Amino acid sequence: MPSSLLFAINNEGRVHTLSTSGSVWRELPYVGQEFKKLSAVPYFLWALGGDHQVYVYVHGLDIPIRVREESYENERWIPIEGFTSRLLPTDRYHFSSVDGTVDRAIDKIRLPSMAWQWEGDWQLELTLAGQPLDHNGWTYAVDFPAQYYPKKQWKSCVRRRLWVRSRRYSAMNSWCAIAPLHKDATTEPFIDISVGGQSVMGAEPGTMLVWAVTSHNRVMFRTGVTTKSPEGAKWISIPVPPGCEINQLSVGPTGLVWAALLDGRALVRIGVTRDSLSGDSWVEIRGPVDSSRIIQVSVGTCAVWAVTQDKQVWFRKGVKGEGAGISEELAAGCGWVEMVGRMSLVSVSANDQVWAVGADDRAIYFRTGVSTADLTGKRWRALHAPLQVSRTSSNASLNRDKFHRSCNSLNQRPHSISEITSGIAEWEEQSHSAPTAPTSLPVGDLTGKHFEAQLKNPKAWSPVRSVGSVVGTEAHPETDDSVWQAEDSGNSSLFYAEDEELCWAECEASWAWVEAGACTVDPAQLPNWFVEAGSLHQAELEQPWRLKILEDLRTRLPTQALYSNYHLAIDTTSWTHSGEARVSLNTPAFAECILQLEWVHTNGILTILNPDGATTMHQFSISDMTCVQCCSEPGSPRLALHTPHLSPSYMRLQFSSDTQMEEWQAHLANVCSQVHNISEKPEDTSIWAITNLGDIFVSNSLDTESSQQQDNIYIQEIDLAGKQVPLNLLLHAGCIPGSELILTGCIADDADRIAINLDAHSSYKLRHKAHTELQNTNLHFNPRFADDVIVRNSMIDGKWGEEERDDEIPIKRGQEFTLKLICSSEGYSIHINEKPYCIYKHRLTPYAASVLTMWGKVQPFKLIIKSPLPILDPKDLFWRQLGGHLRRIESCRTGVTWGIGYDHTAWVYNGGWGGSFYGSLDSHSVNPMTDSQDYRVYENQRWNPVTGYTSTGLPTDRHMWSDATGKQKRTRDQVKLLSMHWQWVSDWLIDFHVPGGVDREGWQYAMDFPSNYHANKQFTDYVRRRRWYRRCAIATTGPWQELGHTKLLDVSLEPVDSSADCAISVWALASGGQAMIRVGVSQSNPMGTVWEHVNSDQALSSISCGPYNQVWAIGKNGCAYWRVGIRSDKLDGDSWACVEPPSGAQLKQISVGQIGVWAVDNMGRLYVRKEVSHVFPEGTSWHCITADPPVLSSASNTSGFKQVSVGKTQVWAVTDGGVAMKRHGICPENPAGTGWNLGITGNWQHLSVRAL
Amino acid sequence: MANDREILREIWEGKLPICFQLDENEVYELQQPDPFFLMVPRLSYFPLVTDKVRKHFSRYVDSDKQDQEMWLEYDGQPVKWHFPIGVVFDLYVGSDLQLPWNITVHFDKFPESQIFRFSSKEIIEAHFMACIKEADFLKHRGHVISSMQKKDHNQLWLGLQNDKFDQFWAVNRKLMEAPSDQDHFKYIPFRLYIDDGYRQKLVKPVTEDGRRKTLQDLLSEVFPDKSNIKVRTHGLLPPLDTPLQWMSEHLSYPDNFLHLCVQT
Repeated sequence: MPSSLLFAINNEGRVHTLSTSGSVWRELPYVGQEFKKLSAVPYFLWALGGDHQVYVYVHGLDIPIRVREESYENERWIPIEGFTSRLLPTDRYHFSSVDGTVDRAIDKIRLPSMAWQWEGDWQLELTLAGQPLDHNGWTYAVDFPAQYYPKKQWKSCVRRRLWVRSRRYSAMNSWCAIAPLHKDATTEPFIDISVGGQSVMGAEPGTMLVWAVTSHNRVMFRTGVTTKSPEGAKWISIPVPPGCEINQLSVGPTGLVWAALLDGRALVRIGVTRDSLSGDSWVEIRGPVDSSRIIQVSVGTCAVWAVTQDKQVWFRKGVKGEGAGISEELAAGCGWVEMVGRMSLVSVSANDQVWAVGADDRAIYFRTGVSTADLTGKRWRALHAPLQVSRTSSNASLNRDKFHRSCNSLNQRPHSISEITSGIAEWEEQSHSAPTAPTSLPVGDLTGKHFEAQLKNPKAWSPVRSVGSVVGTEAHPETDDSVWQAEDSGNSSLFYAEDEELCWAECEASWAWVEAGACTVDPAQLPNWFVEAGSLHQAELEQPWRLKILEDLRTRLPTQALYSNYHLAIDTTSWTHSGEARVSLNTPAFAECILQLEWVHTNGILTILNPDGATTMHQFSISDMTCVQCCSEPGSPRLALHTPHLSPSYMRLQFSSDTQMEEWQAHLANVCSQVHNISEKPEDTSIWAITNLGDIFVSNSLDTESSQQQDNIYIQEIDLAGKQVPLNLLLHAGCIPGSELILTGCIADDADRIAINLDAHSSYKLRHKAHTELQNTNLHFNPRFADDVIVRNSMIDGKWGEEERDDEIPIKRGQEFTLKLICSSEGYSIHINEKPYCIYKHRLTPYAASVLTMWGKVQPFKLIIKSPLPILDPKDLFWRQLGGHLRRIESCRTGVTWGIGYDHTAWVYNGGWGGSFYGSLDSHSVNPMTDSQDYRVYENQRWNPVTGYTSTGLPTDRHMWSDATGKQKRTRDQVKLLSMHWQWVSDWLIDFHVPGGVDREGWQYAMDFPSNYHANKQFTDYVRRRRWYRRCAIATTGPWQELGHTKLLDVSLEPVDSSADCAISVWALASGGQAMIRVGVSQSNPMGTVWEHVNSDQALSSISCGPYNQVWAIGKNGCAYWRVGIRSDKLDGDSWACVEPPSGAQLKQISVGQIGVWAVDNMGRLYVRKEVSHVFPEGTSWHCITADPPVLSSASNTSGFKQVSVGKTQVWAVTDGGVAMKRHGICPENPAGTGWNLGITGNWQHLSVRAL
Repeated sequence: MANDREILREIWEGKLPICFQLDENEVYELQQPDPFFLMVPRLSYFPLVTDKVRKHFSRYVDSDKQDQEMWLEYDGQPVKWHFPIGVVFDLYVGSDLQLPWNITVHFDKFPESQIFRFSSKEIIEAHFMACIKEADFLKHRGHVISSMQKKDHNQLWLGLQNDKFDQFWAVNRKLMEAPSDQDHFKYIPFRLYIDDGYRQKLVKPVTEDGRRKTLQDLLSEVFPDKSNIKVRTHGLLPPLDTPLQWMSEHLSYPDNFLHLCVQT
């Protein structure tokens, strides 16, 4: 869980924050305005100032709030004059919105408030759906509204072009005043403010609801408040029932509003839905007791808490925020429950945790034990977090006696949490021991920076200056770095003043207000806010009694060596484990079996027995197993075991329960790791991959590499004795210049012709939807004993070339021979029986050769391969699982690895291992991890003239409940969760955010299935559909650290140079498609410090950075972009240059490495950028690689490629059938390579070879 | 909470070198059997670790007696198998660093009047689980142990039996947590061995006014009239100012009891 903030106001009206990752209250920079009340949602803080005006404070956003204003310029063709801005009276405005209905005259588009700034001037959009337009940006059409084309035709009567201009919210991290209701701000000041509604069901993402109460007891609703428009548009008055005077109100995250009346009753707003954000009507609720009126309410998701005048706390039972919009009963609840404790104020967070300010001691309390099952919790627990006081605080001078400042302790200000707590304990001790000798405060310092800042321009923060004036903008992030420097590691999302301006003190804070709306704490893992308990433990470690015990324990057996020959009583080196399962070996059907895993010291055997327990179905050594993967389907927990060199190459096991499956998974994964001698942290240069189920695997190729390496060449020996000819031997490193192949064997007595070929991958031609295979052979070495001749030749695209013949045959029938092939850049030098025989010049590039084939009556004995590159079969990679759940993963040479979950949360690998099904024994530094996914089903209906739209379709129609394609029947109650770790977190809901748009009930209309769907019902529409979704979440553990709040679409990492702890260039895309770079990432600090936003006009969907100065991105429109001007001192470069996509294709994903630029389009085709060079890094054209028959037959349901990952020397792709494969034959002359070396069918989803 | 892994690990790793010898009178063969040397975990129980000992000696005794129950004797006294090995050692041997610990093995004349018979490992498991339950009643009124599943109970037992620290502590951790609304146990489960038996008493880990009690407090509560008592556990004498709650969390044996042997 990333850090979040609790806000509070102290008795002087100063706003303080407490981060869930910290333990010290920090004051927000004081700019001369005191505050009375606060209300917060994440990133947005609304406050009622001491002047009874409303202020908004936007903080902690990594991406600036930018809005792109668009205006279409329309023109019509008129004979003689040509295109003019004079349009027909029935036409749209000259400058209009996209559908032409709104006048968007450019000079009338103004900034909404002073808090906004333009970024640049109006500019023309010069592309249409990714394809470039001519320099004026015009698109042509027959008439409005119609299809627009980039080229002018004879029938084009109208044209239009798009002007765009971006504006930016510049009041980030400062208070921005909201305009008063009247010109004279004192006419009708505000008395209460509340913000919420960040998760109104079905509403546009980013919606927020702001309600306020004026001193005339009018209720105001702020329209148009969203994350893109933090200040909203305007106040509208919401009528209240007669006789009701509202004093205070509160908005919950689901939009539910409760208000406290002056007479002590409460009002509840009914009917807050996505269509009616301000609700429909009020319902009256009686107070809990007649004697005491309600003075304050606070609304959470499923909880409403209230405080009455006698400081009694009440909980409203039966409230359920999710259904509150449609059900009065769920909004109003069913009764009050009295709580223990006297509080003056309560605040409920979005996850229903409760904070309060004590009525008597003015301390802040947290309600412990609040859970979804028990919303009332157990008891109040006081927060004990020390306060950081600014010198401008009058508390500082008031509490001077208690105020301790020691330069010494300030300089050594501790960083880690544990140190902080111990440090605080010291201060506490000081305060008890030496209250009479305080270090005095230099008075001169009181005229600090902040006082100056205030005085400079007092008008700037006066709300009277009207719309959106900004308070305290002097300290602007771009002009004053020191003040706005983010705190360590970028986890803190707020900005603070410099430390020298502030002191740490344990003064008795007296709080006036607490606001938990933006705070998310997990009740099971409370933040370090309750200092007492924490410091106690810390102190324990150094206690003399503990040290004595530890010392004594260690010296219990003084001479350990003396007893070294004693047997251990409990032997843990050999064991067996057995159990029942169902197995699918060669058939898709599962059969009962008994599993037996036997482990003896260093290796083990897995035996699959028939249910009788006596006869064996299958048996293999653990060392043959390269991957243990979960391949469950809902209701059937399954494991896939991959043994690529055995038959069958993989088997599936089905277990009766998730627990049983995980027990086996842990056992098998452990023994595999032991056999491969892998433990602890994977090597920096590992391949990372994610399966379809979100499981994370890592593979390290160094092991095989080091075992092959001898004097800078890699040697592999293959024993061929007993192998049958014809024989195909895959050469995984090819036979590139510098390689040697040495084959020994024996010719049969009756041999006629034999052949030893060096074959390349076949090329395929697609004709009439069928692939024709065209063979390629680098070298055909063909002794013909009958003719006493050796023929040498090559085959290119299925055609033999000119033969080279030699009549001398050094090989004899019935004799052994040694054939040596040495490949140089010119040709193959062939040696027979250690004597040079001939040189065969290359006709095909030597990089293409991939297989050694043999036929004829010859018995090979042995093949020795010597290669300058490691010889690695992708099938041989051993995959080890790490805990966690991710969708994407990216790594880089220095081992820094980032992952992105299905919910777009960014996770950084922390160097640990284990987690998930691994026991704590095999885990190291694992953290809890969550992820969420949506299940979706479509409801389809057909129109008929009698009853309108019904769920009775034609017999030929799709199922009335189906998946997106309509082929599979899916009903809502059929959908099951994958495993016990998943839980539903929502009910079935209608999805209003479907591409193409929906109507008010979520329907999309079309002429017929399957077709293009649109939001508005038209006359010709006969069918409609809508999408339902239900969200589920997984709770697991893994060696991952959550990185802040910013959600990511894609990320790419690349070290800037090859030094040990060099900076790493990290490019990422935020969930809105904005590009960002992460500052400060290095091997020692894999999380970096802060995000820096990089402007891009287009929303991007994929990004990759090869060598750090080569950054490519894919736009949502399918276009590619290339970043110009990246230097080592300017990692973010200058500008984006558009690269035309392949014609007729929309690119989806890109990967850039030293070896090339590769992309995948939305049809599953791969593209390589041709002629990329240092001088011309953007290349010239795209070369398309379609899935050829070997790829298509690699796994069932394969139709194309899903993802590509490009490293320094290798290119790997993942097919939609889940096979990872390595591209063979890439060389400078042929950046596209020649064929694929397949890996295991691992159900892969995403893979990263960028560390190789 | 028991989170001082360093201490827990040391406690778990505690082992004793033992030299087993067959009683000379029971040797049936001509040849004297070699003594059998074994490193034994202090936290375990004798019946769990003496299978090898039995195998080693059984061929030297009269074939009629081979199948009889083996029992152990030290210093003329039969060894109580239902105490953890470390407790037996602290009780009988104490501080005399006469290692290895010489134990005599018998197959004959089982001293039924002095020790219980143990026919199978299930009996010792039942005894072990009964201790854990008793301890949890003292600590949490039995809420934690009764909310556990059978497999958790199994894991505790197998963890101890197979010497798997993490397996054992994955479950035992829950037993060693203070109740959610307090930061200490209700009562401290302990057994204070003195003379030939042991004392138990309801002792809270904190005083009425919330101060944390120490070992000294416990001793003066059990023996109000004695002073200067020292206790031995895990082969050491814990300082008297060690907090009780901490001791219970970290120095308890796997059966969740503090086994303290009063030094005379």
